[in-house]
Amino acid sequence: MKDKKFIIIPCSGIGKPIGTTSRETTYEIIKQKPGLAETACLALLTSGDKETIKKINDNYCITLDGCAKHCALKNTQACGKIPDKSYMILKFAAENRDMKPEGMVDIGEGGRALVKTISKKIISDMDEILQDEKK
Amino acid sequence: MEENEKKLSKVGIVSCSGEDFPEGTISRLATLEALHHKKPFDTTTICLPLFIAGGEGDRMFAKNHPVITVDGCEKLCAKRATEKYSGKVACSINVRDFIKDSDEIKNKSNLNEDEKRIASEVTDAISLKVDDILKKNNK
Repeated sequence: MKDKKFIIIPCSGIGKPIGTTSRETTYEIIKQKPGLAETACLALLTSGDKETIKKINDNYCITLDGCAKHCALKNTQACGKIPDKSYMILKFAAENRDMKPEGMVDIGEGGRALVKTISKKIISDMDEILQDEKK
Repeated sequence: MEENEKKLSKVGIVSCSGEDFPEGTISRLATLEALHHKKPFDTTTICLPLFIAGGEGDRMFAKNHPVITVDGCEKLCAKRATEKYSGKVACSINVRDFIKDSDEIKNKSNLNEDEKRIASEVTDAISLKVDDILKKNNK
């Protein structure tokens, strides 16, 4: 399945900086892995859009939630896909207290540092998944 | 009377989540600007995926309050979900109606001047609608 991509589903939350951090992390991964990583609209997935459901079921899927409500993970599972990996921004924020996202529109220097840290970890896990697939 | 007053005190704004399109980011920014700066005392928001996935509190709020939906594309996820679960929306705004042929729309973050201008125009449209709705409902 050499054409499989990674579809990253971030949190949609607009009321907290962690939601923005989730989306910025997704865009950073897509920038670092062009052609391999893509995203999809969570609301479209949750609405039952057939094309989006097919997209996540035909590819690797990563969910990146902001908080413990796990909207991205739960809605992805509800569409019949068990994500290959799922992450939560709050957990990374707790582990990296010197990297604090500050605003909902601009997450600031701390937030951008957190985005770099999380995207590095996720890209490393993506590489591992691809390596395992080759074995 | 008390119940009516409570119902009309706030307008809900449901924004497109649109992670996959620049218009989604414009929707969210415009919604945030209206919520936090233009109409902080008159508006509240609802997280769309949570609402669609069965957030009872959110659905009840949208049933009892006027709602403005801000969508990023013709799929109108925010409008359709609100009308499916909570009833007719007071107003539906589509970001694409604000885009001119000459606008360069390409960024999902770090918006350019065209994208920021559109977000600002959408914010103004939301704010005007909030005023209209509250004025009409509180006559």
